Amino acid sequence: MPRQAVMSSAARLRAGVPVAVTGIGVVSPIGNNLDSFDEALFAGRSAVRAHAFDLPGIDVPALPVAAAGFDAAGVIAPSRVPLDRGTAMALAAADAAAADAGLVAGSFDAERLGIFWGSGMAGAASFEMTCRSVYAERRRMRPTSVVTAMPNAPVAEIALRFGARGAALAYACACASSAVAIGEAMRAIRAGWIDVAIAGGSESLLTPGVLASWQAMRVLTPLAAGADREASARRACRPFSADRAGFALGEAAAAFILESTDPARARGATPRFDLAGYATNCDGVHITQPDAAGQARAMRSALDDAGLSADAIGYLNAHGTATTAGDAAEAESVASVFGANGVPVSSTKAIHGHLLGAGGVVELLAATRALASERLPPTANVERADPAFALDLVMGSARESAGLDAVMSNSFAFGGTNAVLIATRPRR
Amino acid sequence: MNPSTFDAIAAVLTEQFHVEAGSIRPQVALDQLGLDSLALMEFVFAVEDRLGIRIPEDRLDPRQAGVTLEQLALLLDEASGAKASGDVVSG
Repeated sequence: MPRQAVMSSAARLRAGVPVAVTGIGVVSPIGNNLDSFDEALFAGRSAVRAHAFDLPGIDVPALPVAAAGFDAAGVIAPSRVPLDRGTAMALAAADAAAADAGLVAGSFDAERLGIFWGSGMAGAASFEMTCRSVYAERRRMRPTSVVTAMPNAPVAEIALRFGARGAALAYACACASSAVAIGEAMRAIRAGWIDVAIAGGSESLLTPGVLASWQAMRVLTPLAAGADREASARRACRPFSADRAGFALGEAAAAFILESTDPARARGATPRFDLAGYATNCDGVHITQPDAAGQARAMRSALDDAGLSADAIGYLNAHGTATTAGDAAEAESVASVFGANGVPVSSTKAIHGHLLGAGGVVELLAATRALASERLPPTANVERADPAFALDLVMGSARESAGLDAVMSNSFAFGGTNAVLIATRPRR
Repeated sequence: MNPSTFDAIAAVLTEQFHVEAGSIRPQVALDQLGLDSLALMEFVFAVEDRLGIRIPEDRLDPRQAGVTLEQLALLLDEASGAKASGDVVSG
């Protein structure tokens, strides 16, 4: 049972006010609504499948990937132009979040509504199609090539959908993109620049060029040779395990509706959870190698921002990419902040894949579903944590956690940007 | 006007641009379809692709007010005829 905060007066001075989250929308490999999402999450059911390329002349082996069951053709852009698949997913998630929050036209001041969206490579799939037109098919470009592939297309289309006039900001911070977007939306609301935000992220780039690029870095977990390819794909991602071999890429979009707490209640909205803390920093060390010290600083700053001590956190959704170096650095940084085996941890990348720019929002969502259900999602595919790690890794079945009150989600990106978010049950 | 040309125009409008079938008539002007200038360019592009035809840029600017669907169909037929007779078509 998490204990109450004990912290210095200096930390209390830095603490920010909570921001309410009143609506949730998700499109992901493990479900396009909260019921399906929860079911797969707590069962530890992997959505990773073997994916084969069908492009002659492109030499990429079949790979484990986590695709979302989503038909982009059903999404009509406010601008009426064809949409990049990731943008279509973003719109669907934002629409669902707004419906969940009861955010309808007339219930908010458009000049006080801001869109904050994260994506690592938004539009990459569309740009890849453009390149095929130029280099392979010798066809002309569509007039909408630019507006479909531009990295701010998702944020722009969402802003158009809701008539937002307060802010339309796209954050590209690799694997930390959507965590940063959510945190910056929190800061904008706390500072009084806006009252309502649609914050989240999207990523959809399961295309040959992009997958081949990632494959070339040797960070993608392979399919096991021979035997049952589908079984191998499901358990290909094994975060914090001694035999971890890298991650499986996935695609997803998720959105939260953020509001100042009092106005939210005044309009009759019921918060799903509160965003209590956010910190972002950078390692300043290497373009891809993670740095435990930088990560630990980010976690401590987020705790300060939330006005909480480490032992108030009842669950941590790790970045946990299942790379050799990544998991080792995070195991070290988590232990330095929380103590050896100091907080229950799991990585849900094992079941939904590495969602790149959408990882921050989807993994924070997973952590808040733990709050809502008072149980902790397991790290699928792993029976034993690497003995070198002093981690309380949740494995096997979901772990009961009655009274769970505060959760943390880590996003540690290529390039060194770190983003940590803390959510709590709604405060009165 | 070749009816199958107009059918192709109507199909692209309903399938790709979600325009109501009831508002697609030969006398309707391009700027009355509820599509902005960018979408109009994309629409003409898509029709050309569907028919394997290119209208020379100096024969049509889809953003020009007043051009009707019938006029578009006639331009497509004209370009198609030019293609059949071996004339060079730009684009």
